[in-house]
Amino acid sequence: MWLHVRLSEVCLFLQAMFILACCFSDMESGPIATSGSVQPNGDRFKIEGRAIVPGVKTQDWISSARVTVEGEEYIGFLRTDGSFVVNDVPSGSYVVEVISPGYKFEAVRVDITSKGKMRARLVNFIKTSEVIRQPYPLQLRSSGPHTYFMKRETWGWTDFLMNPMVMMMVLPLLIIVLLPKVVNTNDPEMRKEMEQSMNMLNPNPELPDVSEFMTKLFSGSKSSSSKAIGGSKCQNITCTSGLRNYCNWSCHGNYNAIFKKSFFIRLYNCFLSRVFFPLSNNPRVCTTLVLCQF
Amino acid sequence: MKPPAKMSKPTSLFVIFFSLFVMSEAVFEDQVGKFDWRQQYVGKTLFAHFDSHSQSSKKLFLATDKNIFASFNSRTGELFWRHVDKAGPEGTIDILLLHGQDALMVVGGGRLLRSWDTNMGGLNWEAVLDTGSFQAACFVAMQDTVKHVAVLKKAAISLHYLTNGHQKWVENLPDSDTVQYQAVYSGGEEEVYVLGVVPNSHLTIIAYSLEDGEIIKQRSVEAPWLSSVESSCVVVGHGVLMCVDTATLALYALPIQAEEAPQFNQILLQSLDLEVSPGFQPVLVSSQPHPARSPISEFFLQLGPDHHVLLQLNADGYTIAPLRDFQPAFLVSFSTTGEKTVAAVMTPKNETACAINLFSADSGRRLLDTTVIFPLDLNGGKPFKLYVHAFLKKDDSVGYRVLVQTQDHALTFIQQPGRVVWTREEALADVVTMEMVDLPLTGTQAELEGEFGKKADGLFPMVLKRLSSQVILLQAWLAHLWKLFYEARKPHGQVKNEVTIETLSRDEFNLQKMMVMVTASGKLFGIDSKSGSILWKHYLENVQPNAVFKLIVQRTTAHFPHPPQCTLLIKDKDTGLASLHVFNPIFGRKSHIAPPALPRPILQSLLLPVIDQDYAKVLLLVDDQYKVTAFPSTKNVLQQLQEMASSIFFYLIRSDQGNLSGFRLRKDLSTERIWEVVLPTEVQKIVAVNGKRPNEHVHSQGRVMGDRSVLYKYLNPNLLAVVTESTDAHPERAFVGVFLVDGVTGRIIHEAVQRKARGPVHFVHSENWVVYEYWNTKSRRNEFSVLELFEGTELYNSTVFSSLDRPHLPQVLQQTYIFPSPITTMEATLTEKGITSRHLLVGLPSGAILSLPKMFLDPRRPEVVTEHSREENLIPYAPEMPIRTEWFINYNQTVARVKGIYTAPSGLESTCLVVAYGLDIYQTRVYPSKQFDVLKDDYDYVLISSVLFALFFATMISKRLAQVKLLNRAWR
Repeated sequence: MWLHVRLSEVCLFLQAMFILACCFSDMESGPIATSGSVQPNGDRFKIEGRAIVPGVKTQDWISSARVTVEGEEYIGFLRTDGSFVVNDVPSGSYVVEVISPGYKFEAVRVDITSKGKMRARLVNFIKTSEVIRQPYPLQLRSSGPHTYFMKRETWGWTDFLMNPMVMMMVLPLLIIVLLPKVVNTNDPEMRKEMEQSMNMLNPNPELPDVSEFMTKLFSGSKSSSSKAIGGSKCQNITCTSGLRNYCNWSCHGNYNAIFKKSFFIRLYNCFLSRVFFPLSNNPRVCTTLVLCQF
Repeated sequence: MKPPAKMSKPTSLFVIFFSLFVMSEAVFEDQVGKFDWRQQYVGKTLFAHFDSHSQSSKKLFLATDKNIFASFNSRTGELFWRHVDKAGPEGTIDILLLHGQDALMVVGGGRLLRSWDTNMGGLNWEAVLDTGSFQAACFVAMQDTVKHVAVLKKAAISLHYLTNGHQKWVENLPDSDTVQYQAVYSGGEEEVYVLGVVPNSHLTIIAYSLEDGEIIKQRSVEAPWLSSVESSCVVVGHGVLMCVDTATLALYALPIQAEEAPQFNQILLQSLDLEVSPGFQPVLVSSQPHPARSPISEFFLQLGPDHHVLLQLNADGYTIAPLRDFQPAFLVSFSTTGEKTVAAVMTPKNETACAINLFSADSGRRLLDTTVIFPLDLNGGKPFKLYVHAFLKKDDSVGYRVLVQTQDHALTFIQQPGRVVWTREEALADVVTMEMVDLPLTGTQAELEGEFGKKADGLFPMVLKRLSSQVILLQAWLAHLWKLFYEARKPHGQVKNEVTIETLSRDEFNLQKMMVMVTASGKLFGIDSKSGSILWKHYLENVQPNAVFKLIVQRTTAHFPHPPQCTLLIKDKDTGLASLHVFNPIFGRKSHIAPPALPRPILQSLLLPVIDQDYAKVLLLVDDQYKVTAFPSTKNVLQQLQEMASSIFFYLIRSDQGNLSGFRLRKDLSTERIWEVVLPTEVQKIVAVNGKRPNEHVHSQGRVMGDRSVLYKYLNPNLLAVVTESTDAHPERAFVGVFLVDGVTGRIIHEAVQRKARGPVHFVHSENWVVYEYWNTKSRRNEFSVLELFEGTELYNSTVFSSLDRPHLPQVLQQTYIFPSPITTMEATLTEKGITSRHLLVGLPSGAILSLPKMFLDPRRPEVVTEHSREENLIPYAPEMPIRTEWFINYNQTVARVKGIYTAPSGLESTCLVVAYGLDIYQTRVYPSKQFDVLKDDYDYVLISSVLFALFFATMISKRLAQVKLLNRAWR
């Protein structure tokens, strides 16, 4: 039933937003507020300007370009020198755009008062009354050709190695290998600190963690295999709740080494899950991935 | 809650990030032209001029009824450039005049005067003309150089400089309320003559001074027989006005420049031994090769549909000498090169061809070796107009090229000796509706398919059959390999994969289909979707210009040996009377099945899923007395209809009465009204009603939410989306309404009103959502709104949907977004099983087609990101919808004036076929969720195989090493 509540919440929310939007637009005022309606027999004006594509001759692009005012409401064509005039436009506020399949142009909003005063400003569809003046007659400079195509992903060793993902995975790996040798885990204070930080790192205690499951699984099989081969003796160790699963590992004999290693594995897992979370739907995927590498 | 304007930066970053992430729709540069093609059209030609500026020029200039001025390469028929003006009367091209490199055009019923640089394709200048409807225009020359252009309007004449468009002078015409001024003439003298007529009374001639626009002389000539100068008079020779009159069967000649009270000189046609075909209005054709000189003294008189006479005005200016009689002759045209003027005459040769010959204009003698053959297409229209371009050859004889326009708007360019250089099917500039039909299976394919059809066989025959079909496949593969090998040895140019109707067959993934296109002119086309080549065409004559079409696929290619069957419903918009054209969509041939006679106006047509014994779906046509006609109407069908009658419902819209009503079929094929919804026409008018597409599949019944519960979709197949617009156009009071009505019960499921909004509304209705776009009059921007309907977390009846048994109204969610561009049309992608995510294909005025993921139009996009919304992959709400050029499926291949986008599923679930039509036709494939079911075309075979080999060798080596190590240990 909670869904129902949530949906109605969303509806309420939308309604509230609508009201808010109304408030916002009500505040809007300016010289163009009166020009929304088009007088049937009002005067007609012209919008003038010039479009430039830097570094390209006009004859190479003007034949495929045109100037549109408010969609296709009024249309102008470019002269051989790149200038244009859109004739027969009544007073109002319009978005003027140079459309060319080859080159990108910014759109400009042009306001024409009923007396024929013109001004140009940046187009802002969200804050419609915001005025950032632009030169009039319009000076439209192309910002370059359109980017229509995606780049193909090419595969190379350097790409693979310099990939941030790979870097992110390789660097902590080094840390895992190196750090345990630096930190002295025999120190009881240090161990306590580690335990605390481990508990903090655990993201959601209720959710079953795949990494935990995997460590369990691996440790089980490993312990049995190690028994079969080496036949070393297990030590009994009392565990704190947060480290429950690592106790199984301790069968290998060297508690300290296992503890150190598992701690850093977890640290690494958590790090990865934090880093990759927004990317992947399931953060546990990467943790398992990392585990497989061990 | 934060106002939309103050979107926090992290959120916006997040949106950008997401938009990068969901970007599945993009073209790679190496895919250009691989799966897509575009054809550009211009429409029906109104004016055509050859560039005679230089001898070797290849340019051809056309002005068309679609308000387009275009330049073609006359050798190939390809476009150099094209300028698309506003559609409708504001952009109509009234006249096109060519002088040197400049093309002059009067646009919009005398609104603007434009001069184009034909070399660059840019504008020289544009001048605004005074108000008044356009009548005529001509160049005015002074001392042998053309410097001005005169524009005649209903009540004024103005003279403009050719160099900058500035007005030299403008003069009001005297008595313009009684005199209809229709023609303007200049013969290179210091005067401009304006000809006006008071119908059946007299002719007025006014001479204006070139310098200042002063009236030099004004004459009035008695002409009680004359009703229009435009249609019955031309100027020939040294300023002699030649008119023809049907009633008196006579030619009238009048020297325009005559000083003293002039008189028309009557020349009876009888005296020239000429006779007019009964009921035919004779037409005069003359030619003025250069505006600085007077017209030539020879002219054509058309006396019947296929009877022309070449006449010559004698030097005295009163008497006429017939030069040559052309009968039969369909079309005639003059052309001038240098000092020579020739006449081209088209005469019928046989059933399938016409011959065009050149004649010397001043003598009427036939020029040798000038015959070219124009092939008549039996499925095309008759020749309509000739445009001739004559040129002087090196040996000083006259050569020519000719452009033939036929009634179906096709242009054919013919060059000596009798070779058709190119043909353009300009009817395709106005595609009204289209369908994509699967191609038929080949014999082998059909055999393979047949294996799965019958289940009666035992185990052993099934195995045998399987084996035999595998053998067939192997054979086909070997044959294919052999062909590849064989063709690889040939030089590259010779290998050509010509597509013909005979070789057409379905490909592996059903990606190649037959596009059946219906154009406004009544010409039907069958186009191969892979290459874009026209495989068949069929011109339906006697189609009214205001006809509306509906194309219905009654039987697909799946029912071999029954041929596929399409039915075109052609309805006269005014009278409502309709006719059916039944044809085979693969070959374009008219079917032998006789369609039913439809004596009454047709209101509605519906295709039932009921099939007759020949596997044709049944089409029901409802007439204005609510009686139903079935097609096909065999006994079998009628029986089925009787059985199913109680469950067949349909709806009718009367937008003029604001009435939406539902009907049910009775057993006797009459109908009963069961519901009615009235939307008062004083307040709002119905602009569009749309149901869902019948071939649409919805794969998932619901959406899994963040907490693992399921939100079930409200999937009502009978749902209609009704869009209304307010009659009040004031920006404060205008609104757009969207009603969701159940088509069976008439129940209004939901209504949404968008205040301060006006049309044009574009919308898509699919699955459980409606997306619509409108113009926000308050903020002056376009907005998208999405409505999604959900049943809730539980389904009322999960097995079957019945409109009659759904007590709960669905939950409706809505969200609105700003769209930073106006749109021209909108459609949703469609795939075979509906598993692939949906995209919206939005046609923009720039000609681009934007593929917008439906994900952006999801009313559940959260304002505040939560764990659950993240789990669901919902993009946080952002007020402005992004437009990225990478999402343009047609990159720089813009489609001018996109009118419709047709989507069809292919055999691959990931792939949707898209055809955008408007002025141009663009076909491509889109992959809304990327190509998940086939290897991509950039699949790196080399890398994969090298990695595999490397691994293989690595294992070999390590195995060897391990063995050595073991051995060493054993020794130790």
